Amino acid sequence: MKEIILPDMGEEVKEATISFWHHEEGDKVTKGEDLVEITTEKASFQVEAPVSGVLSKISAGEGEVVKSGQVLGIIEE
Amino acid sequence: MVSRFPPWIVKRLSLAPSDKKGGGEEVNKTRNLLSRLDLHTVCEGARCPNLWECFAESTATFMILGKICTRNCKFCSVAKGSPLPVDQKEPKRIAQAVKKLDLKHVVITSVTRDDLPDRGASQFFSTVMEVRSINPDVIIEVLIPDFAGSREAINQVLEARPEIVGHNLETVPSLYRKVRPGASYERSLKLLKLVKILQSDIYTKSSLMLGLGEEKQEILQVMEDLRRIDCDILTMGQYLQPSSSHLEVRRFIPPSEFEEYKKVAEKMEFLFVASGPFVRSSYRANEFSSRFIRKVTH
Repeated sequence: MKEIILPDMGEEVKEATISFWHHEEGDKVTKGEDLVEITTEKASFQVEAPVSGVLSKISAGEGEVVKSGQVLGIIEE
Repeated sequence: MVSRFPPWIVKRLSLAPSDKKGGGEEVNKTRNLLSRLDLHTVCEGARCPNLWECFAESTATFMILGKICTRNCKFCSVAKGSPLPVDQKEPKRIAQAVKKLDLKHVVITSVTRDDLPDRGASQFFSTVMEVRSINPDVIIEVLIPDFAGSREAINQVLEARPEIVGHNLETVPSLYRKVRPGASYERSLKLLKLVKILQSDIYTKSSLMLGLGEEKQEILQVMEDLRRIDCDILTMGQYLQPSSSHLEVRRFIPPSEFEEYKKVAEKMEFLFVASGPFVRSSYRANEFSSRFIRKVTH
């Protein structure tokens, strides 16, 4: 099981918004592919799937404001 | 929910699976080193979208003289206010960081210190000297403030013999009052000119943010002004609003337009041009030195 954690985007960037998930819960995902897009004040970021597996849980939905260190979802390897 | 940015204002974030914190291992290594040495970077201060990519490659742009700026530029998110006293040990710590990160090219910038009698020039001098003393082969680029036009201050920085001196014009003259209150287009241009007059073998560099409402003709004029004073390197990137209290983006310039500007600048015979939405003054600064400086010295 791999938690997808919003990385520390820098001291000054405290939060970000989930723009959209490229997958739904239950979808198979491959390491390196686009998983979720998040937006900060300055830009959008495509977060890659850190491992291959099944996206078993989306913990932070689209439009939700998330903070560094927060779990966005879970992939079962 | 649809992103409010055009499709080209997107960066990739790769999460290394081995790292429990969820961040890339290299990114955290760089971050930890900077925090251990109590150093500031413009990457963090300016909320740079390239931070992840650069830190992953163990590179950063150091910001000396503290993290509080005495100017109030409307595009910049570096903290403003009354700065702390100058940290005399900072130059040594920067030198250690350069060594630890094994940098071949380092960019050193600063907040503007209008409160100091020498405007911070001696700290630039000490930092370049310290970095050089334990990293003899590193290419040193300083990105300096305007020192309120002080020739003495510029002279002091040049005495340390950095390979590249950058000073950013940031925008076109008609937008200075709005974007860089406290600065002057003419003064900034004169500063770059003075560097070449005093030390003609030092490369000069300047950077522009696009998307603040400037006209194409104005950009071309700035390019011509820079060439007239023999500026060697030009970088152009998209202005991105750091927070709702900063200037709004007036236009997202498509990558094709950045390409066009690059072609025009190359025709004007800048030695090196970088132009693209995510290009920043120091972004991949080592590309210039690996192409030009190494060739000259070896």
